[in-house]
Amino acid sequence: MRARRPHLAWVILTYLALILLVAAVLYPVLLVCKKAFEPGRQFALSASPIPSEVTTQHFQDLFTEQGSNGELMFLRAAVNSIVVALLTTVVGVFVSCTAAYALSRFRFPGRKTGLTMFLVVQMFPATLLLLPLYVILNKLGLLNSILGLVLVYSTTSIPFCVWTLKGYFDSLPRELEEAARIDGASQWMIFRKIMLPLARPGIAVTALFSFMTAWNEFIMASTFMTDQSGYTLPVLIQSTVTEFSADWGLFAAGAVVTSLPVMIAFYVLQRYLVGGLTAGAVKG
Amino acid sequence: MSHPVVRQLRDFALGSIVAILIATVAFVAVRNRELAAKQIELATRAAEAIALGRPTLPAVHAGLVGEAAPSPKHPYLRQRQVLDGDRWRPLAASGSPDDKLFYDAASRFERQGRAEFAELIKDGSGRAIAVRDAQNPRATDRQRAGSGIAIAVTPPAHPAPYPWLVMIGVLGLGAALAAAGALVGGRAARAGTFAGIAALAIPCVLWSAPIGSTAIVLLAAALALAQGVRLTDRLARGVSRHRGALGFLAPAAVSMLVLVLVPFAIGLVLGFYDHHQGQWTFVGLDNFGEILSGGGRPLDDPLNFWFILGVTVLWTIANVVLHVTIGVALALVLSRTWLRGRGAFRMLFILPWAVPNYITALIWKGMFTGEYGAINSMLDYAGLGDVSWFGSWATAFSANVITNTWLGFPFMMVVALGALETIPKELYEAASVDGASAWQRFRHITLPHLRPALGPAVALGSIWTFNMFNVIYLVSAGQPGGSTNTLVVDAYRWAFERGERYGMAAAYATIIFFILLLWTVFGTRIIRTKDDS
Repeated sequence: MRARRPHLAWVILTYLALILLVAAVLYPVLLVCKKAFEPGRQFALSASPIPSEVTTQHFQDLFTEQGSNGELMFLRAAVNSIVVALLTTVVGVFVSCTAAYALSRFRFPGRKTGLTMFLVVQMFPATLLLLPLYVILNKLGLLNSILGLVLVYSTTSIPFCVWTLKGYFDSLPRELEEAARIDGASQWMIFRKIMLPLARPGIAVTALFSFMTAWNEFIMASTFMTDQSGYTLPVLIQSTVTEFSADWGLFAAGAVVTSLPVMIAFYVLQRYLVGGLTAGAVKG
Repeated sequence: MSHPVVRQLRDFALGSIVAILIATVAFVAVRNRELAAKQIELATRAAEAIALGRPTLPAVHAGLVGEAAPSPKHPYLRQRQVLDGDRWRPLAASGSPDDKLFYDAASRFERQGRAEFAELIKDGSGRAIAVRDAQNPRATDRQRAGSGIAIAVTPPAHPAPYPWLVMIGVLGLGAALAAAGALVGGRAARAGTFAGIAALAIPCVLWSAPIGSTAIVLLAAALALAQGVRLTDRLARGVSRHRGALGFLAPAAVSMLVLVLVPFAIGLVLGFYDHHQGQWTFVGLDNFGEILSGGGRPLDDPLNFWFILGVTVLWTIANVVLHVTIGVALALVLSRTWLRGRGAFRMLFILPWAVPNYITALIWKGMFTGEYGAINSMLDYAGLGDVSWFGSWATAFSANVITNTWLGFPFMMVVALGALETIPKELYEAASVDGASAWQRFRHITLPHLRPALGPAVALGSIWTFNMFNVIYLVSAGQPGGSTNTLVVDAYRWAFERGERYGMAAAYATIIFFILLLWTVFGTRIIRTKDDS
C-alpha cells in the first residue's frame, strides 16, 4: 500500500517466506507430475520432486488399460464424464436463465424467499440428499445410469447457475429494456432478443463453472456408479489407489490428464468465480 | 370481474390437479400392493406343489434344490443340485438365468434356520420368489439332494394400466357438479366445489385406498372454505398480476421441486424408519433418540454422536482459523507495492484452488502414507523419525487439517486481496502524517475494511469446511478406528458402509441439516453484526 520502501532485512525476510510458501504450494503438484513420468507403482522413494528416470509408460498404461470386456477404461470414463458434465451444464444453464432474469428484473411476493431458497440449497451439501436420491434412483432403476447422475448433479448446478446469472443480469443496464418496452416489445421478446445476447459472457462463464463442478465431483459418482461401465474419471482415478491395490504411477498419469484442462479453465475464469461466490454471500 | 362459472371452473381446475395427483399416487400404491400379493401367492402355491412332489404351475419356474456340497472339480466352490423339470442338474452361472436366484434363496433359507419366506424380488421386475421346506422328498430325490428346498420364481408381472377413462369420467362429473353449483350461486357454489372435488375421491374409494380418499375429501373441504373467504380470488389476482415473473420462474421452480424438495422431504421421512434387508419399519423417533443419546456408547467412542460433533466443530474451527490467518497474511504481503512479481505470486498461490479436491486429497494421502511417503522421507532427511500418520487421532486429524489448509487458504487470500484493493491510499497517508504506528494503521484502517468482505467469506468457508467430505473420506478415511470422521462422513458411512442403516443415515442428515440451519441463521448473524460495528 505504501510507497515507502521498508528496511532491507525485512524485504529479504518477506521474499524468503514467500518463496518457502510457494515451495509448499508447488511441492505436492510437482510430486504428482514427477510420479507420472517416473517408473514404478510406489508413491515415492525419495522426497525429491525431480524424477530420477523419465518414462511415458504410465500414460501408455492409462490409455490402453482394458476393462473386463476389453473396452478402454480411460476412454469410456472420459466419455462418461464429458456426457454427464455437458448434460448437467445444459440443464443447469437452460433452466436457470429465465429464473435468474425473473429474480433480477421482476418484483413479486416471494422473491426474497425464492432467492434465499436457492442460496440455502447451494450452501447445503449434496451429501445430505445423497441417501434419499439413492433410494429414489434405486426404485426407478436409475443407479449406474448417466441420467441418474445428471439429475443428481442438477440439484447443485441449478442454484449455482441461478445465483451467478442473476448477479450478471443485475449488472446489465435497464435502459435498453425500457426502450424496447416503449417500442412495444413483449417481456419474452425483451428476454430473447436483448437480455440473452447481452448476457452471453455471463452465461459462458456460468456454464464453464458448472461443467467444472460436475467434472470434479467424486463421492456421488462413486456411490451411484457401482458398475465399471458407469465410472466417471474421478471414480476411475480413485480406483487406481485403493487399499487393495495401489498403482500411484497410473494415478499420477490419470490425475495429470484429468486436471490439466480444468486447471487451465480455472485460471482463465478465476476472477469471475470470486465475484460470483461473494456476491451471493453478501446479498444473501 | 369474470363470469362466476368461469371462476368456479378455475377453482375446480386448481383443486382437481392436486386431487388427481393424490388419486394417482393412491392408484400406484394400491396397484402395486395387489400385484405383489398376487405374485407372492402364485409363487407360494408353486413352491408348495414342488414341496409335495407335485408338478409346478404353468409359467412359474420352480424346482427342488438340494443341500450345498463341495464341487467335485473345485472343492472350494459349494455346489447345489436342482430338480428342474424332471432331471437333476447343478445350479451354475452357465445354467438357467434363474440359477443364481435359486442358489441365493436356498442359502438364505438355510442361514435363517430353514424359515420359509415369500417376497417380491428386489430388481423391479415384479417377479416373486417363494421358498418352502420340502421335508419329505421322494426317496430317489432324497438320495440325490439330502433334505430338499422347494423354490419357485414367478414370471414378471405387468401392472394394470392407468384407468384413463375412469379419471376423465369423474373429472367431467366433478366439473358439472361445480358448474351447477356456481349457476345456482351463493352457498350452492361452495357446495358445488366441495361435491365436484369430492367426486374425484370415488375411484380411490373403489380401490379401497382410505388415505387417498380422506385426503381428497379434506382437500375439497379446504377449497370450499378458501372460496368462502375469497382466498382463491385473491390468489388468482396475484397470479395474473405476476404471471410474467411466474412464467419465467416456472422451469427452475419445477426442477428444484422435483430434484431438491421431494428428495429432501423423503429424506426427512426416512429418518423415522429403520431399514433392514430391504424392509422398512416405522420406528418413530428411535433413530434420533439413539443418535442424540450417543447410543449408549461412552463419550470417547468414535460412534458416539457427541464425539463426532466435537471432532467436526474442532475440524471447522481449526481450518477456518488457518485459512483466514494464512490468507489474510499473504494478502497483506502481496498488497505491498514494493514487492516485485506480485501477479506471479498471486497466480502461484491460487494453484491449490485449481486442483480438483479429490486429487489433492489423494496426493496428500499418498504423501502421508507409509514409510515411503514423501512427508516421512522429509522427516527422515531432517533427522526426525518416521511418524505413523494414521496411527493416532492427533496425527491423523492433523494430516486432514494440513491437506484442507493447503487447498483452502487461496479462497480467503483472494477475498482479502479484493478487499484491500478497495481501501483508499489517502487513509494510510493521513494516518502516517498523524503519526500512527503500523499496528494502529492495521488495527484502525485495514481491519475495518477487511471485515465486510471477510465476514461472508468466513460464513461460507465455515459451511464448506463443515461439509467437506472428500478430504476426510480420502485422506484419513476416519482412521484410526473411525475417530476422525466428521458428521457428513459418518452419515455417509451409516448408509453405505454399515449394513445399509438408511434410517440412521437419514436421521443423521436431518440433524446435520438443523445444525447448518442454526449456524446460517445465527452464526452468520454474529459474524455480520461484528461487521456493522
